[in-house]
Amino acid sequence: MILSKLPEPVNLETIADNLADAVFMIDRKMNIVWLNKKAEEFFNTSFEAARDRNIADLTAIKKIKGLIQEVFEQQEALKCTYEEASVKVKRLDQRYFFKIAINPIFHQEKLWGALLQLTDVTRFHEMEKIKTDFVSIVSHEFRTPLTTIIVGVEMLKEGMLGDLTPRGKEVLEAIGADCERLNRLIDNLMELSRIESGTIYVEAEPTDVADLVQEAVRPLKLQAEKQGIELITDLPPELPPVAADFNKAVWVMANLVGNAMRYTDPGGTITVRVRQRGKRHFFTVEDTGCGIPQENMEKIFRKYVQVSGPGRKGAGGVGLGLAIAKDIVMAHGGEIWVDSEVGKGTTFTFTFPVYQGGESVTLPEAD
Amino acid sequence: MTKKVLMVEDEKNVILGVRTCLDAVGYQVEVVEDGEAALDAVRKEQPDLILLDLLIPKIDGFEVLKVLKGDPVTSSIPIIVLTAKAEDEDRQRAMDLGADNYMTKPFKPQELWDRLKHYLPD
Repeated sequence: MILSKLPEPVNLETIADNLADAVFMIDRKMNIVWLNKKAEEFFNTSFEAARDRNIADLTAIKKIKGLIQEVFEQQEALKCTYEEASVKVKRLDQRYFFKIAINPIFHQEKLWGALLQLTDVTRFHEMEKIKTDFVSIVSHEFRTPLTTIIVGVEMLKEGMLGDLTPRGKEVLEAIGADCERLNRLIDNLMELSRIESGTIYVEAEPTDVADLVQEAVRPLKLQAEKQGIELITDLPPELPPVAADFNKAVWVMANLVGNAMRYTDPGGTITVRVRQRGKRHFFTVEDTGCGIPQENMEKIFRKYVQVSGPGRKGAGGVGLGLAIAKDIVMAHGGEIWVDSEVGKGTTFTFTFPVYQGGESVTLPEAD
Repeated sequence: MTKKVLMVEDEKNVILGVRTCLDAVGYQVEVVEDGEAALDAVRKEQPDLILLDLLIPKIDGFEVLKVLKGDPVTSSIPIIVLTAKAEDEDRQRAMDLGADNYMTKPFKPQELWDRLKHYLPD
């Protein structure tokens, strides 16, 4: 062991106490066995006082129990994203955010306890907040100048301000189309910042599946026709309703179909299907487009990620649609994923719970 | 008879755009650039309809709504809110204060014409 080679004045405790993170060791019952200096300082305790106390009591972190339980059950280190792993801690009336890492410890091949490491990410949280606010303000500020542009372009296009040359009309059509694009972008940014700031809430109501699909697909039919793409909907009759926020669910479906249209060549097909399996409805959007390379499949649900690859043209977005779709689906307690094969096509699937009656408003987690 | 529309808006370019839009279909347009001037203008001469921005100087749009919709003399004048504020809460607040319609910027001329026609039938 390399630690035995430490020079004289240094030992394991020196190292542990000089870590920037708070570290706890707990036993199988989640009682504290050991903690470092940073943990003592932050949770305003001492080794003697903390010893044998339950970790959840001492730290007052609500979700820590569940996270540790998960590690104990899986017998694997906690693997989750930054957002999922951040916990809120109140101390002297101030809120701190910690990223938490939990590693199981084994003794003679049996689970013995765990090592918990809490990293202060309060500053990151503040930066996130600033970014979210910034996005909201910027997208808001774009709306006013865009009004002048759109009103002007439309009136010029209609010839209400005088005659145009054919070329002039063509240019104005292009400007109009790009205004639409900017407008969509602003809407997406607003939606995202709403979701991130936690002000969005999902009102799950009994929602007719056929209505939902029709509302999403209808506005895209004409465009699909123009592009020479066949747009098929395949719904079994008499599906029970889902528990969903109608407008948000429509948004998700329309976004996935819109995406499929961007990546499918003329002559291709897009199929929208809904199937019930147990207490869930599976919504799929299948295209015969260019497909997504394996290495990019994980990334596509992240914010500001646009995947490039063979045949995937610059699709005129900033990569927010799928991130928002994921947030919306997850807020409903559903899941979303993708299957794809390069050159063959892509299938997006998301699930919504079947309406059970009695569901009311689902508020986002207060944290 | 030519219908009179009062536009309360402080962005010069938007004023030009919307004015052009209204001129084209034959409305008579008066423009004021803050909430105080809006209330004065309505007291002096009642318009047939008001296009109201929410973020305006002196007295904001919500307050203008409250005053005009709270006064029986002016409460029947249709007010269309024209704003960059797209949040549901703002829309709800404006509707609660009595706004007849709520349009978020940006919009297309046709959307504005349709609404004007609805509130100002020939």
